[in-house]
Amino acid sequence: MQLQLPGIGEWMAAFFTLCIFSFLYRDNVLYRLAESIFAGVSFGYYIGLARLNTLEPNLFRPLFSDFAGHWPLLIPFALGLILYLRYVPKAAWISNWALAIYIGYYIGVNLIQRLHGEVLPQAKGTMLSLQVPPGQLLGNLVIILGVLTVLIYFFFSSPQRGPLKPAARIGVYYLMISFGASFGYTVMGRISLLIGRLTFVIHEWARPLVRAVFGG
Amino acid sequence: MRVDRRGSGTIGRRPGRRGAARGALALLAALLAGGGLSGAGAAPAAGSDRENPRPLAATLAVADTPADGGSSLTLTWDGARLAAALAEAHGEAEDPAAAEEAAKEAAEEGVEEGAEEAADEAVEEAADAAETRAAARAGALPAPGAGEVDVERAAAGDTAFARIASVPASAGRFVDEGLERTTTYRYRLTGRGAGGRLLATPPTPPLAPRVNAFRTRRLNALAAMVFMGACVVGLILRARRGGQIYIRRISGLDAIDEAVGRATEMGRKILYIPGIISVNEPQTLASLGILGYVAKLTARYGTELEVPNIDPLTMAAAREIVKQSYMEEGHPEGFREEMVHYITGDQFAYAAAVNGIMVRDRPAANFLLGWFAAESLLLSETGQSIGAIQIAGTAQVTQLPFFVSACDYTMLGEELFAASAYLSRDPLILGSIAGQDVMKAAILAAIVLGVVLSTAGVAGFAAWFTAL
Amino acid sequence: MKKQVPILLAVVASLCPVVGFLLPQPWVDEWMNRRLDEWMVIIASFALVLGVVSVVQVNLHKVRRRSRGWGFSLALLLSLGIMSAFGLFGGQGERADGSLHPFTWVFQFAFSPLQATMFSLLAFYVASASYRAFRVRNVEASLLLVGAVLIMIGRIPLGQAIHPLVPQIAEWIMQFPNTAAQRGIIIGAALGAAAMSIRVMVGIERPYLGKS
Repeated sequence: MQLQLPGIGEWMAAFFTLCIFSFLYRDNVLYRLAESIFAGVSFGYYIGLARLNTLEPNLFRPLFSDFAGHWPLLIPFALGLILYLRYVPKAAWISNWALAIYIGYYIGVNLIQRLHGEVLPQAKGTMLSLQVPPGQLLGNLVIILGVLTVLIYFFFSSPQRGPLKPAARIGVYYLMISFGASFGYTVMGRISLLIGRLTFVIHEWARPLVRAVFGG
Repeated sequence: MRVDRRGSGTIGRRPGRRGAARGALALLAALLAGGGLSGAGAAPAAGSDRENPRPLAATLAVADTPADGGSSLTLTWDGARLAAALAEAHGEAEDPAAAEEAAKEAAEEGVEEGAEEAADEAVEEAADAAETRAAARAGALPAPGAGEVDVERAAAGDTAFARIASVPASAGRFVDEGLERTTTYRYRLTGRGAGGRLLATPPTPPLAPRVNAFRTRRLNALAAMVFMGACVVGLILRARRGGQIYIRRISGLDAIDEAVGRATEMGRKILYIPGIISVNEPQTLASLGILGYVAKLTARYGTELEVPNIDPLTMAAAREIVKQSYMEEGHPEGFREEMVHYITGDQFAYAAAVNGIMVRDRPAANFLLGWFAAESLLLSETGQSIGAIQIAGTAQVTQLPFFVSACDYTMLGEELFAASAYLSRDPLILGSIAGQDVMKAAILAAIVLGVVLSTAGVAGFAAWFTAL
Repeated sequence: MKKQVPILLAVVASLCPVVGFLLPQPWVDEWMNRRLDEWMVIIASFALVLGVVSVVQVNLHKVRRRSRGWGFSLALLLSLGIMSAFGLFGGQGERADGSLHPFTWVFQFAFSPLQATMFSLLAFYVASASYRAFRVRNVEASLLLVGAVLIMIGRIPLGQAIHPLVPQIAEWIMQFPNTAAQRGIIIGAALGAAAMSIRVMVGIERPYLGKS
């Protein structure tokens, strides 16, 4: 029977996995090494992705293959380069232009997304009818009361006095129940992640290694 | 004659094709289509009537879809009338005598058509059959159910109508999307009547979709933007005129001074984590606002500040803000670029590195403010384990529970934005918080009104809030 | 000039997506939404160099000075250099002979397991967070505890074994009180974000100038 040792890739993956797990005991050299390599490799990966998935297909290739049809791409090209002017003390202020456009554009996008994509539909979803069967009525009432009281809790420009005080208090209770529910909901998912990782170490690395060394 | 019955001289006809070759052509087309002849033969009444449908008692109208970019047309018809006409036609089918009569009529018509017409139809039927089978294979268009009609379309230059959808006859409306602005389209609705006989509405006149001036369906969003803008700008102007704006204390804000004071006393650093999203996220911008305040305190007391970043543009903006704060406090010499540095763009690599910073440098205070995902727990638990004061804030509902359990103070959702504005001490920005509260009050009132109207059976008000 | 131009650029840029959202003309959609979106991704890609400069500055400084832990800084710089070189000068995915490009190989056997392991650490952290969260200090903490316990038990067979109502209660909490609270947070946060957007749009808040 041919012995099949884990490949170099599996060795490396298992090594890094154990290095990171070692942090649970305490900070140590292995964790620090894995942490440094992780930072370097991941950053290098995003640099590679930027070239392979963005700059080459969406900027350089169109510009060099059909300049007449894609010359407007010179604008983001220039804005990208302008960012680097922050290293030229006398021209550093110009680099803020690119940042201003970037932040400005997404501010506009966010204004729309928040009001149109979140406020309007969430408000609509709360406009529930109370003329429903008793079983559904309780649920609808709980939702309506919850949304109203949580929103009242988030009032900042008026003191939480009078009827607003108990309303805001109920809002806080809603928030806490919800946080508890989300917490409980997430716990199980996180445990399954751990099981997945341990499965890799045992099945892909440890078991082939043991079989190769001790046979069986 | 056939042309007149179809109501169109351009659709379905293949002018100029005559002679004995047509029979062979028809046969060939049928064979290529894989059973076109047998298909036509299996349903003789249905087979021949694609060119010669019986009128369906309903008027189909087509119009440009308002408020779109010129890519759709809207069909309307009297749904109740069409459904009744279809039901009546089906009723005929249940009557054996009527079915027989219809079949006989169809047969006679078939004879009347003549050899040329039949050959022509055979070619088209073969094409139709192939088309239907292809659609069936793709699973795109299931056969119409009871009470349903087919929507058929023919673009300029098309030789036949093609089925594009099946809709309930009673729907009364269908929007055909994804059209070309440069092409005209004609439509008809078809259904099956007695004996499977094809019934069709008269085709609509050709029409091309056109570009409209405004997306009227998004008027609700425009109204929300204008109202919110008016509230915010109005209260900013009031603040500018010196009007008093009250803003209540936000939990966690007092703790910022306390945390910086503690770090100063202990001679340890403050770690400020501005979330894991770029400056395209308002939560990051809110976090940078709070960073400005924290940096002023650290500049004033000479406390060490470290701001590790996951996004280079956030780093650039954070660096400017920290630098500005040190200058405003009169300690430009206290600012070093390395205080605000970059780590990596990956959330877990970032979390691993920040956890390392926490356990090695043991900062006295950790600020976790901004947009966070799963790493929120990794960071806040490590911070908790080193005994740092932790002030967190995010609007991510899924991460708030972990911050609430692991941090000393947590700014919940909107509190993060309000805290950022509050700490600026700028009356104009404070005015904007009051403006956003007016909007909130309006939303509350709208919800209450919506509940009352929905309970009363008036759905129109809630429908106005639909995001289109 | 140093202040006015960026403010003007930010205001104009912020209006573009709003115009693109409201007007249906294809050229508006093309320029105000699609192209600008693409351009922003390009700008963000260029910004990575700012990160490289920062990382190299900080770590090279440590290596040169032989500061404590300089070897880790060297490891970071080397791994960054090697992976960047694979990404900048090589391809991704599989080669014609079925072997992986180095860029993809390192991703698969170093980056990906490191990511997965960090993610899986959450199981331990969530356990310690639970311990802390479940120490009842006040009414709010007890509500959090009750919510969490009911949902956790309700999602496993134990809940059904205790009482058939337990899973139903868990489901009810998720569907109603939880939905209500999340909806309130979402509306509130959206209004906060919208107000911040308006402040940037009218130039009161200028994070791009170091003034927030």
